[in-house]
Amino acid sequence: MSWTMMQRHLNKLRWLVLSLVFSLLILLPFLHLYQTYEASHAYDLLSPTEKAISDSMEWLTRPFVNDPATDLNKIKGTTWSGTLFGLKVSDPLAVVGQIAAGKLVYVPFLVTALIPIIFTIIFGRIYCGWICPATFLYELNDNLTAWLRKAGVPVSRHKLDTRLKYLVLLMGVIFSALTGTIAFAAMYPPAILGREIYYAIALSGFGAGMVFFILTLFFDIMVTRRGFCRYVCPGGALYSLLGWFRVFRIKRDVTQCNDCAKCNVICQFGLDPMRDNFSQECNNCTACIAVCPTDALSFTIAIKDQSFQGAGHLGHSHRRLQG
Amino acid sequence: MKRRTLLQRLVMSLSVLGFSALPFGISRLLTPRVHAEPHRHIPLPGALKDRADFLQACIGCGLCGEVCPPRCIKFHQTDGGRAANTPYIDPAHKGCILCGYCMEVCPTEALSVTPIRKVDMGVAQIDRVACYPWVDKGVCGACVSVCPLGDTAIDFTFANFYRPAVKEGCVGCGQCVEVCPEPSLPIHIADRSEGMVARHGVGYRQLDKWQGGQRLKY
Repeated sequence: MSWTMMQRHLNKLRWLVLSLVFSLLILLPFLHLYQTYEASHAYDLLSPTEKAISDSMEWLTRPFVNDPATDLNKIKGTTWSGTLFGLKVSDPLAVVGQIAAGKLVYVPFLVTALIPIIFTIIFGRIYCGWICPATFLYELNDNLTAWLRKAGVPVSRHKLDTRLKYLVLLMGVIFSALTGTIAFAAMYPPAILGREIYYAIALSGFGAGMVFFILTLFFDIMVTRRGFCRYVCPGGALYSLLGWFRVFRIKRDVTQCNDCAKCNVICQFGLDPMRDNFSQECNNCTACIAVCPTDALSFTIAIKDQSFQGAGHLGHSHRRLQG
Repeated sequence: MKRRTLLQRLVMSLSVLGFSALPFGISRLLTPRVHAEPHRHIPLPGALKDRADFLQACIGCGLCGEVCPPRCIKFHQTDGGRAANTPYIDPAHKGCILCGYCMEVCPTEALSVTPIRKVDMGVAQIDRVACYPWVDKGVCGACVSVCPLGDTAIDFTFANFYRPAVKEGCVGCGQCVEVCPEPSLPIHIADRSEGMVARHGVGYRQLDKWQGGQRLKY
């Protein structure tokens, strides 16, 4: 099986990664609860629910840890900022927001964002498509929208200007500088989701961020398809900018394309793979590669986007042109 | 005609600007600034001294809460205004055990690793008209026996050995507040400048009004 053929399965791999990240976000607060129960040495005083949590988490982690109260601290946090076996990883947007808010660069924090920055420079918006916990829900929400559409509920798919999100990024920087806080933290969906899941499981319940996130879900259903990611998300804007010269791009093999336009329909970002129009917005979700019936789309190494190569050679229009 | 196109462009760009500011406005409106009792919203150990500096540094990731063994770190989940999603400790609910995990895990300069006795979350302040032993209504000593820093932080007075008195070594962890049996919490964590004995009376209230900057601002 060639590399091009294998790329059809990247979308499944991506869903695996997305679900893993999301389930980890749910698992970590439960592990934290278990840690607190262990630290308090009061198993007998726990309620039945707490005992169930404690028992199940003990069953899950017993093979890997000796002292759960300290050993489980090795994996902590969310995609906004987390720590993995002593390696601290933060979202570049958090660094941008903090620099704007404090008007100074705190180098140790900047260093924590280096790995995501390097990955983004190479792969473009790979975080958006492969890791972001909000993408997991937004894509499910898009499926829901499709069902609603099928059921006859009017859903609208307006087109806005994709440059809007760069303005939102700029606005966030300005607001951060004016108010002296990281303004992005309250409106950036992955940051919201990570902490709200933690609030809901380990603390008193969902906070205000969840209301904002649900509003964005309605925005996606009622205004535009995947509207928040495409037009509003400041993180997406930052990654699009960082990935301007990304090395890996999806390219259409014009000799294999039959102009069926399935890729254009499946693309939740409203891009135009059939006419080689991926632009900066592509989040490498590989749905178009998976859906392509003739394997015309595949990742290639290229610094610049391909300009329109004309109609696909297997397509009707091409045959018509050829006479 | 020219004026009309100018106006149209102006309206268009203003609406675009407004739309891009909308998410920040909505998220800010969802977390309104409400009155927060300062004694129940104390800073974390190793936090930046100045509150404004802390808000500039904290990215609201919640890591400090996720490593806290007693789960004493809470967050401004639905309130706080600018301080939304930033952590605080409510010692009346749960006191800090000074384990230092939050300081180690914080990715930013908001919390920096500090030796236990250099931590400054405030200082325990005793209201001598509400504390049982101080008004001769019984014996207690819960605060003294629970203090993790021992007699450098809080001890009984020489004259009566159930009357607690806070000393200079107190770092304001709030474990004494957690165990205090009196519901009105005669012991609470206050800013170091407010002293270790709660002051009462018209004179003090006037002083507090004039020196308004002394109290913790939220």
